[in-house]
Amino acid sequence: MPRLPRLHPFTTLALAVAVVTMATAASIWWLSCAVLALCFLVSGWSGHLKKLAMLSGAMLLPTFLSLLLIHGLIARDASPAIAEWGPLRVTNHGLEVALALGLRTTVLVVVGLLCGLLIDKHQLVAAIDLSPVPPQIGYLLAATLFLLPQMAEKQRQIGEAQTLRRMGTGSGLAGWFQRVRLRAVPLVLGSMQDAQDRAVHLSARGFPAAGAHTRLRTVPDSSMQRGIRWTAVICAVLGPVVILALARLGGR
Amino acid sequence: MDKKLSHQNTSVLGLELSAFSYLDAPASVLRDIQVEVRPGTLTVISGHSGSGKSTLGFILAGLLPRYGMDQLSGAIVIDGTRIEFSSSSTPHIDIAQWAQHVGMLPQDAGHYLSGIRGTVAEELAFCLENDGVPRAQMHQRVAELAQRLRLGHLLKRHPQQLSGGQERIVALAALAISEPDVLVIDEPLAGLDQQAAKLVLEMAALLRAQGTALVILADSIRFWAQEADALWWLDEGTLKPHASELLGDHESAGAKPRRPAPSDSPLVLSMDSIRLSYPGSDKPAVPDLDLQLRSGECLGLSGANGSGKTTVLKAIAGLLRPASGTMSLTGTTGLLLQNSSDQLFERTVLREVSFGIPKKSSLHQRIAEVLAQLGLESYAQTHPYELPASARRLLALATVMVREPKILLLDEPTEGLDELGEAKLRAIIAAVLARGGAVILSTHDEEFMHSVAHRVHHMNQ
Repeated sequence: MPRLPRLHPFTTLALAVAVVTMATAASIWWLSCAVLALCFLVSGWSGHLKKLAMLSGAMLLPTFLSLLLIHGLIARDASPAIAEWGPLRVTNHGLEVALALGLRTTVLVVVGLLCGLLIDKHQLVAAIDLSPVPPQIGYLLAATLFLLPQMAEKQRQIGEAQTLRRMGTGSGLAGWFQRVRLRAVPLVLGSMQDAQDRAVHLSARGFPAAGAHTRLRTVPDSSMQRGIRWTAVICAVLGPVVILALARLGGR
Repeated sequence: MDKKLSHQNTSVLGLELSAFSYLDAPASVLRDIQVEVRPGTLTVISGHSGSGKSTLGFILAGLLPRYGMDQLSGAIVIDGTRIEFSSSSTPHIDIAQWAQHVGMLPQDAGHYLSGIRGTVAEELAFCLENDGVPRAQMHQRVAELAQRLRLGHLLKRHPQQLSGGQERIVALAALAISEPDVLVIDEPLAGLDQQAAKLVLEMAALLRAQGTALVILADSIRFWAQEADALWWLDEGTLKPHASELLGDHESAGAKPRRPAPSDSPLVLSMDSIRLSYPGSDKPAVPDLDLQLRSGECLGLSGANGSGKTTVLKAIAGLLRPASGTMSLTGTTGLLLQNSSDQLFERTVLREVSFGIPKKSSLHQRIAEVLAQLGLESYAQTHPYELPASARRLLALATVMVREPKILLLDEPTEGLDELGEAKLRAIIAAVLARGGAVILSTHDEEFMHSVAHRVHHMNQ
């Protein structure tokens, strides 16, 4: 499977921010579609196509449905209706608005998810630790990124223990709600206890570092990548301004 | 730290404790204790579960008293500096600075690991990173330590993919890398297989040879007694010299002959060519297993950490479906998990044992009986988290026993149990076998396994 070159996490993030801001500002359907196609191409190359498709589908389907409901079915604009069912009517204008907003959201979601799939969490935390930002930022990010998998594992262990005691074994929606109810309290209490037990040893190991700190992990970087990052940041900030200014001039 | 000792004192750590009590506790947990630790020595402090060993360890490691909460009266001498504690003044301790002199590995070694590093190598270097040690130097120290402790094969592994024994060794290595003068280690051998235990003992000898003093907190002194420079028994909150006759009793306790296995009783479990795999894993945890168990039989599962003992128990308990092979079992199963904390959810011991039992079930009548059998009646209204480790382990066992399983599955049952708790566990196993049930236990405590099991099945890695 072809692999993408290992980029510094900040490079990937900067490129993603630039692409999202410029595509959103441009709001041109073919540009958004091209960005999406590129994202899926990159995800295919990196071996994340299936995951990206599933995750973005799960997030975008309800988004599109709600947009269609708000702008397509119950909109009260005067444009001609394509179809009508009593108080519900689908209009050209409503459909256009729903699709335009949906496409912008899609770019944001797909680019964001791809970023999440491409960036190694440990590399990102290391990159932040090695940057001049306060060590607490790296800690906060690490705690956020790694808390969820740890809680998922704990939740699984609680589920196993409850299954052994014939609890939370129901099926269907009712069974799911029962499992959530039974696992939520021990999960929260257990996680709090765990955090309390760990905190004292983290302090004993000098975390967070009071002074200068280093990292064993290296995060590959290059002057070319730094150049790309600066260009991307400039594009992210100035790109939308230029695009909006050009659109205004064109309008006149 | 108020004053430097003027006289010559070779000890690296000293404790003169008059009394220690936790916040809002009605009485002192520890009183009248004097300990002195010299470089390169081995101090062993044993005692029953709940006797206060861990509390004493936390005090030595500067993790107790919590500022403005607990009460300590006495003094601690660390690196030649005497720190006075009294009911009116508790100095604020810089835990990180203290840890440079005295480091502590808790009973649950996983709590020592940061949980935010991607490899074992990074976990080992965590302290050094926070100290700002240059990367090249960190690589060198990690590589040296890994070579010395034979951890090279684990360096690239994710810390959360380690077995219980591997996790303890990695945590101990992470503690040792910053080279404190004193290491306080709580139950260093609990849950370790023979090879891992040997490695820890070797590691302890190596650290002592380098001048590091060790303070071992353990229920049993049997692995440490020969080498110990000081042997203490913590009882009723105070330290007493360990009587040598106690050691003799201890060593002879496990020397019981193995009983014959019942051969004519009916089969309660049969596993043929069983292959067990976890979802998403390419390699099977157990590639091919044949196992039979008869009514009235106790079977021991032995094997190195990560050989699949827990996986087999989970499969028998119905938590894991075999990928292939056939398995048949008669009657219900009950599994005591390795980590008791995973098995406890309620706010009192009584509610915990009642958890999941239907309101009209006759099993409710068993609750008082099981609590009495395991000596937990007096804890009925106590929160499970507030129980001593041994009582917590017995509570987890009570939640299993209340359902009267035909096949009792025990995963590292002696871990965290003191001698009294171990006696109760033996009684439970005998009772299950006497009523025609069967027991499978997975443990690294070979002495216990050989004394209760009719036969032992060795799991190959």
